[in-house]
Amino acid sequence: MELLDDIKAAREIIQALIKAKKTFRLYPETNPMYAKTIEDTNVKFRSFFDYRDELTFKIKQNEIFCDSEQIYSSLQREDNLALFFFKDGLREITFKKGFSVKELEDFLKILTVDYDREVLDDDVVTLLWERDFQNLKYVVDEAFLTEEEDYESEAIREIKEKAPEADELTRAYEDSFKEETVTDAVIVPLTDKDLHTVVKEIEKDAQDKTGKLITIIFEMLYQAENKSEYEDVVHFLNSLIEYSITHGELEAALNILKKTKEVSANRSVAEEARKSLNLVFSFLGFESTVKLLGELLDSGLEINEKTWNDYVAFLDKNAIQPFITILGELKSIPARKNVISALISLGRKDMPGLAKGLADSRWYVVRNIIYILGKIGDKAAVEHLLKTVNHSDIRVRKEGIKALGELGAPGVFPVLRECLNDPELQIRTAAARALGNIHSTTAKSLILQKMTSATFAKTEFAEKKEFYEVLSRWKDGDVMEFLTRAFKKKTFFKRALNDENRACAAYGLGLLGSKEALPLLNKEKDSKNKLLREYVYSAVKRIEYGR
Amino acid sequence: MAGKENREGVFTEAKDIVNQLAVIIRTAAIHDPGNIAVTTAIDKFIAVVNPLILSERELLLELGGEFFYFNEARIRYPLEYLPNFDFLVREFKKRGLGSIIFRDALESEDMQGFLRAFITSASSLEPFETLAEELSDVGSLSVGRLRKIREEKKEEGASNVRQMIKKSYFNAVSYTRGVISKIKSGEKLNIKKAKRVVESMVDLILEEEQMLLGMTSIKDYDEYTYHHSVNVSILSVALGQRLGLSKRALTELGLVALFHDIGKIEIPNEVLNKPTGFTDDEWHIVQKHPFWGVRAILKMKGIDATAARAAIVAFEHHMYHDLSGYPKTREPLELDFFSKIISLADQYDGMTSARVYSRIPMPPDRALSLMMERAGTQLNPILFKFFINMVGVFPVGTLVMLDTKEMGLVYQSGAIFLDRPKVMVIINSQGERVDKYVVDLTEKTPDGKFVRTIVKTMDPNKYRINLAEYLL
Repeated sequence: MELLDDIKAAREIIQALIKAKKTFRLYPETNPMYAKTIEDTNVKFRSFFDYRDELTFKIKQNEIFCDSEQIYSSLQREDNLALFFFKDGLREITFKKGFSVKELEDFLKILTVDYDREVLDDDVVTLLWERDFQNLKYVVDEAFLTEEEDYESEAIREIKEKAPEADELTRAYEDSFKEETVTDAVIVPLTDKDLHTVVKEIEKDAQDKTGKLITIIFEMLYQAENKSEYEDVVHFLNSLIEYSITHGELEAALNILKKTKEVSANRSVAEEARKSLNLVFSFLGFESTVKLLGELLDSGLEINEKTWNDYVAFLDKNAIQPFITILGELKSIPARKNVISALISLGRKDMPGLAKGLADSRWYVVRNIIYILGKIGDKAAVEHLLKTVNHSDIRVRKEGIKALGELGAPGVFPVLRECLNDPELQIRTAAARALGNIHSTTAKSLILQKMTSATFAKTEFAEKKEFYEVLSRWKDGDVMEFLTRAFKKKTFFKRALNDENRACAAYGLGLLGSKEALPLLNKEKDSKNKLLREYVYSAVKRIEYGR
Repeated sequence: MAGKENREGVFTEAKDIVNQLAVIIRTAAIHDPGNIAVTTAIDKFIAVVNPLILSERELLLELGGEFFYFNEARIRYPLEYLPNFDFLVREFKKRGLGSIIFRDALESEDMQGFLRAFITSASSLEPFETLAEELSDVGSLSVGRLRKIREEKKEEGASNVRQMIKKSYFNAVSYTRGVISKIKSGEKLNIKKAKRVVESMVDLILEEEQMLLGMTSIKDYDEYTYHHSVNVSILSVALGQRLGLSKRALTELGLVALFHDIGKIEIPNEVLNKPTGFTDDEWHIVQKHPFWGVRAILKMKGIDATAARAAIVAFEHHMYHDLSGYPKTREPLELDFFSKIISLADQYDGMTSARVYSRIPMPPDRALSLMMERAGTQLNPILFKFFINMVGVFPVGTLVMLDTKEMGLVYQSGAIFLDRPKVMVIINSQGERVDKYVVDLTEKTPDGKFVRTIVKTMDPNKYRINLAEYLL
């Protein structure tokens, strides 16, 4: 292989590495592009190794050389491969012929790490060192590790200078004859039992250390002597909670909280210490903490229901607003369900605080808050919910009406009556259902009022059917009588429309389930009107067989 | 540092071969080599070793220091192999056996012969000679004497290595100075650098343990804090390496050890540098430094796995094995494994340095004697055994008188015989100061007697002997 071919092949490897560095950032390991990148880069290495056993890159700040030939140069600060290696002290990288595909993949992964992230304690050299490549050697310049230039020779000079003017070697020599002779040195042999004990200890040592650190931080609390030390302890506990949540360890965070609660209730602990711990519970409701929790919920990690409920029990009302914020940001349904369950619990502590969420600009968040207020079941929520009936989004209005129906306080009737006449079909039926849920005499009379109005008979069949269905929830004489009358009603004109109403009445009678209605229904089982005939048939079946 | 060629991967079975060799030797110690239990184990050994012998033509299994090498490549092994590897190291050393050379595919009879010779040689006055003689008619394998091959190679590059070690050591001291000054001024720390400093030390411990340990004997009173941090880190990593910790764990151990005393920066200088004993109030302040250490670490780094570990060690390093030290805790605490290691290293370096609690440093051998008294109470007794095996009975820096009436300083601890280190002679047998020269106390006369033996130890501090002048 000619020299020029060498250089060309080395250049191609550099280009392949640059390309791979980008591709690895873009595609996950499961993507075919990932595998293809490794394959392509490996081909470049293999073609080089067909002729040579080693490939050495000499690295300068902005250039890479191979056999004294420059094969890469860049003056950029970003995406400069030479600088990328150079800044951590790498000065030479040698790939040996045996450089395997697995080694190449690991090397490419090291190239791709985002070293600028503050949380990362490793640089390129550390990762190369930890990987301990079989067929990759490198040379580093460690000068940059020294804080002071030429510290070594200066320090040695100073230590030597500190030598006493004259040591007393001769006196030591003379004295030594007066010293006692050393007895046989005690050499302590290691036994197999010792070794096994150590092996066990090392295995045990692999356990997570967070629990131990928590214990130590509480020890610091017990022995704290001033406000600043209490503040530090609280800060560390908060950081530990944050750390646990970030690492998906909600159980660990919960343990910290349990311990915090236990200590804060322990009268033998200084009062100031106990008081300071309250700040830990407040921290749970900080926007940043809740945001982390949201990320955990959205990560797809399975959250134990009991752990979640226990964690939520520690939250204070200051968590409400941050939870409302993340409720509109979470992507997964289980995550939103968890937040909703948390807000139900928190809303019980501060309903007005939760109701503030009704002013949120995101309709879906408002709808969720309405749902939550409905679930809490506090009738005091009605005054907040009434406004939602006029929300600009129909989905919110429907949810608001539904919640009013669930809460059923007397104040809801004027609004629901109004809704029964709303121009929107969905609102009218929602209001009817809400009244059905309330199931009071007033609610019934509102429904009947609507159904006996002059215009009702002319409304769409589906809407009418909905009203009859709602009405049938009151299984009493009034309703029976109303339905019977409607079913019996006959007209000369607009007969089809009347049969439509009678079909709805048959549907209602079926839902009432009273056998008293059977003779009446059976009379129409052979009705010429198909719709009426079908509804009668269904109603009879429902009454006879309970379905 | 890193990047040193390593053929470990070439012999993926190497660790299994050594492990299996230990198994057959252990089995042969109980049963006759012809017993089925032994022959079955031999068959397994042959099944793994023969393909390698055939592919490499000649296979050299060699003991260097505490490590085994196969054809120059150091054999690394998982934790569960530690007892067998350690057993084999001890059995090799007991016989002065340094290497086994496999030349041809082994037969079961060859190994049975080897085992017989190996077992018999243990009770011989000249174990290596006995072993070599008994194996002389086994063509497929032969044995070599301990340390010849590796030591000669070591000597060749010893000067360069010593330079490299000095550089790494002072890099670490310089880094520690920088860290402390930055913490004091509230600056942000670069942990990436700390890792690199420690990685460099880990590499040296793996390759040149004794030389780097020797550096810890150089004490600088004025720079005590920095030297102490680095020394504790080196001693801890070396001990961790003896215990079989992985490279990654050793780095964490070294890093954590480097910061174990970080809380001391909050002790006022007038207390820290007080020439007389502490008052109760001052002692109270000193005893707060583990708490301040936790605080400094967690504030410096935030919380992550390494910070948690470092904080734990900063808190526990004075608590002692029996928890009789400080701080006293309200709730029972089981000491962390790293705390146990670092506590040993801390005590040893503290005792052998001039420092705040004890102005007069103790000679290394006396420090070890005192530590031996504390093993089981203040110190973990098993880890102390490993520690003494590591630093030797006469650690580097011990002033010794030899039976030849030469006087010198222990220069390098004995890898095979703990009480037979290398000594740098500074006064000859006529009582005259001489240009320093190094003697090896394992050296024997033709009739098998040791040429030199330590008969007395002296306190180098009492005679104002500056170790740096001789050892650096």
